Amino acid sequence: MAARCVASGSYTTGRTLIRPRSPRVSGSMPVPPVTSPMIRFDRLTKCYGRLAAVRDLSLEVLGGEVYALLGPNGAGKTTAIRCLASLVSPTSGSTWVAGTCSQDDPVEARRKLALLTASMGLYERLTAVELIEYFGRLHGLDGDRLDERVRAVVGLFGIEPFGNRLCGRLSTGQRQRVSLARALVHDPPALILDEPTTGLDVLSGQTIYDFIDRERARGKAILFSTHQMEEVDLLADRVGVLRDGSLVAEGPPATVVAATGEASLARAFLSLVRDAEVQES
Amino acid sequence: MKAWQIVFRKELRETLRDRRTLLVMIVVPVMLYPVLLITMEQLLIFGMRNLEAEASPVAVVGEGTAGLEEVVGRFETLRLVTIGEDLEEAIRSDSVTAVASIRLSADAESNRDVVILFDAAADRSLRGRGELSLAVEEWEDSLLARRLDDSGLTRSFAEPVSVSDSSVARAEELGGYTLGRILPLLLVIMTLLGAFYPAIDLAAGEHERGTLETLLTAPLAPRDVVIGKFMTVALIGVVAAGLNLASMLLTVQTGILQATAILGLEVSISPLSVLVIFLTLVPLAVLFGALFLGIAVGSSSFKEAQNALTPVYMLVIIPAMLPIFPGIEFSALMAILPVAGVSFLFRDLMAGGADPVLGTVVLVMTSLYALAALTFAARAFGSERTLFGAGSGDPGPAGRSLTERLRASRARASVPSSGGAVLFIALTAVAFFWGGVPLQIAFGEIGLLAAEWLLLFVPAVAFVTVGGFDLRSTLSLKRPMAGQMLAAALVILGVMPLVWTIGWLQTFILPVPWELLEGLEELVRADTMMRLVWLLLLLAVTPAICEEIVFRGVLLGGTRGLEPWRVIVLNGVIFGAFHLSFETVIRFLPTAVLGMVITWSVLRTGSIWIGALMHLLNNGTIVVLASIPALGDLFSDPDRPPPLWLMPLALVIFAAGVHALRLMTDPPVHGLEAREPNVPSPETP
Repeated sequence: MAARCVASGSYTTGRTLIRPRSPRVSGSMPVPPVTSPMIRFDRLTKCYGRLAAVRDLSLEVLGGEVYALLGPNGAGKTTAIRCLASLVSPTSGSTWVAGTCSQDDPVEARRKLALLTASMGLYERLTAVELIEYFGRLHGLDGDRLDERVRAVVGLFGIEPFGNRLCGRLSTGQRQRVSLARALVHDPPALILDEPTTGLDVLSGQTIYDFIDRERARGKAILFSTHQMEEVDLLADRVGVLRDGSLVAEGPPATVVAATGEASLARAFLSLVRDAEVQES
Repeated sequence: MKAWQIVFRKELRETLRDRRTLLVMIVVPVMLYPVLLITMEQLLIFGMRNLEAEASPVAVVGEGTAGLEEVVGRFETLRLVTIGEDLEEAIRSDSVTAVASIRLSADAESNRDVVILFDAAADRSLRGRGELSLAVEEWEDSLLARRLDDSGLTRSFAEPVSVSDSSVARAEELGGYTLGRILPLLLVIMTLLGAFYPAIDLAAGEHERGTLETLLTAPLAPRDVVIGKFMTVALIGVVAAGLNLASMLLTVQTGILQATAILGLEVSISPLSVLVIFLTLVPLAVLFGALFLGIAVGSSSFKEAQNALTPVYMLVIIPAMLPIFPGIEFSALMAILPVAGVSFLFRDLMAGGADPVLGTVVLVMTSLYALAALTFAARAFGSERTLFGAGSGDPGPAGRSLTERLRASRARASVPSSGGAVLFIALTAVAFFWGGVPLQIAFGEIGLLAAEWLLLFVPAVAFVTVGGFDLRSTLSLKRPMAGQMLAAALVILGVMPLVWTIGWLQTFILPVPWELLEGLEELVRADTMMRLVWLLLLLAVTPAICEEIVFRGVLLGGTRGLEPWRVIVLNGVIFGAFHLSFETVIRFLPTAVLGMVITWSVLRTGSIWIGALMHLLNNGTIVVLASIPALGDLFSDPDRPPPLWLMPLALVIFAAGVHALRLMTDPPVHGLEAREPNVPSPETP
């Protein structure tokens, strides 16, 4: 049964919220003030039969903050993200995007959300520009506004050279750039990036890092999942570690590392995940 | 622009860039179809001319051959040859196509007995025999004329009755009638094919390319996605159907086909009929489009979707073929049958006229079926289970910890998979057909008993034990409560008269296998108490154990992970099909309904003993009633309507039984819970 949203506005989890670090990209764009959370999971639980994929997950991401959601395969990251995008219904709890409950108003929640899925699915028989336009239209853009936004994302991700090529003929890096442009064409306040750099070369990966920095500077809330700890070190203001559907650690990377007594985030992550294996066996 | 219109435009653009769709939609009907027909026609004509060009070598042997030889000599299509003593060898070695062997009778008129030898398995010989027969007839005529002259009688004296027949069918009606038996099937198939690939591409293709999740993250309702996709598939289907229709009409109606002229078949379908045919193709394309989309969206790949849709394809072809068979008329019943009604309407329209009332019924019913299919497709697109698989985002084996994977693997192994169970049933059915039927023929009742135990019971137990499955959970070996048994007895006793009615209603449309029924009647009728006990053991107790362990045991155990209604329908249909043969088509539906009712009861109670009890009661009641002389006749005549007074009573008993079973049991569970009964509940966080 779909969970109902019972509250909006103020929210506390019992964990101290960490103020996002200052944007790394300096420029003319002002840093927006930190306000209410843009992305919120409120005691989210999702079960498949007797198997709980996500258990009582509560976390939030503020505007201008980059949050890295970590966890081994099957920890519940994708399920949590799917609940946020209202692709699946929670067993209990709720998810919020920029003040809109995903379960109460899924269409409006998706309007405020950009979701880059790990599958990087593109329509093979559409050109890159056609695909971006298609998603722009689905997000309610048309006329000059659509043209303007398509031009913006095409320029932002350097898609011009292959904009008229069918997606089926693009390289992995080009596909990832088109995927990002597709996800961001409507310029939403909250971004979910599921393993955004998978399969990319160093140059393409750097494009993504630059983009994340830029969007943080524009006040966007960014939640991303990755298996690359160096990316987390480089980008994240806070990290959350999921294990068996539960959040077992959360805070700035340095705090999480210190709490485990390990020397690096990668080791801290391993110790948190291995704890689970040991407990299970 | 509305969301569904955006989806529609995009899907159409993408589909029109798909070579496979274009091939099926445009190239096949426009090019290949007429080319194929014309090629076939040319081959036919070429073959006929080849045969005609050569005079058939024939021989005349025996007594008084001169007269016939003279007649044969006048036939340009015949060439007289001399052969040896061995006539058969001469025909087999192809040195002669047919031989007329003449023997003089001993009667006063010196009549001749003529035997024409030929090879019925050779085209040349058949043609030679035809021509030689004509020569013999002409010879006979000349002999008769001579006799009549000698007697001073006229020709009319020997022909007191002159018979000739003349068809009132106009040439175009004849053409329409002949082609109308084939063209509707082709039109339905081409419409189906037109929708087949786009549906797979637009539904399963989204899964395969990983775009479905991306699409559904856009702010639009699943309904808009379905409508946009469905409009595309339906449009492609309609266009494909329209092009096929146009292509066929151009091919058969413009006279470019010489075969129609040779056979005297003119094809002239009126513009109104063409319009009605096209209008009927629209809801048909909609029906196929929606149905295929709804099914294909649950498949994760092209291949899987093709596998899922192929049985549907086959099921559609069968009703579409009905107009081909002689003796089946376009009736109200045919009009409401999906696809069959359309096919019959096309046939009648092509033959020159269709009943407008029946035509309207076909249009309305096809539209209703299309609407139902559309609702089904919309539900499929809105279902988490369909979109993200049975686990709905379940991390899957690869994503779980080792211990979880081992636990799940052990749990999965406790019952067979649905595919494994269905495969087992298929193999069992084949073994039963090839082994069980000969056993019954060779050893009669003992053979039947042996077939049930050796080919059903033993393989089922072996499958579960050798496969390492849990016997108790696979076969639902839970002990039932007394109240549940009583309720199940009410259910089966209530449903029996209803099933009887279904069987009786079928006699209006299906042929009744009288000989088989008489044989069955003999089999189930007992005239002594000992015989009754034996028959109950053979026909009630044995199937109640052996067939239940296969159907409500292995099959139900393997498919319990599906939604309950699917389990029930699948089990009933397979159970009905298992009892099917060429002669016993009439048994399919009643047996399937019984199977569904028994499956529901077993699913509800979790006990196969309930199924065994119901099966026992059903078969046992038939044996007992058939053995009562006064009642035996009532049951043995399928044409005889069941007593109407029994129906309300049966309904009440059935409803009471169902209600009682529902009260005493919990609704069946499905999905992960049902498939993995040993997965422990996760600790509450």
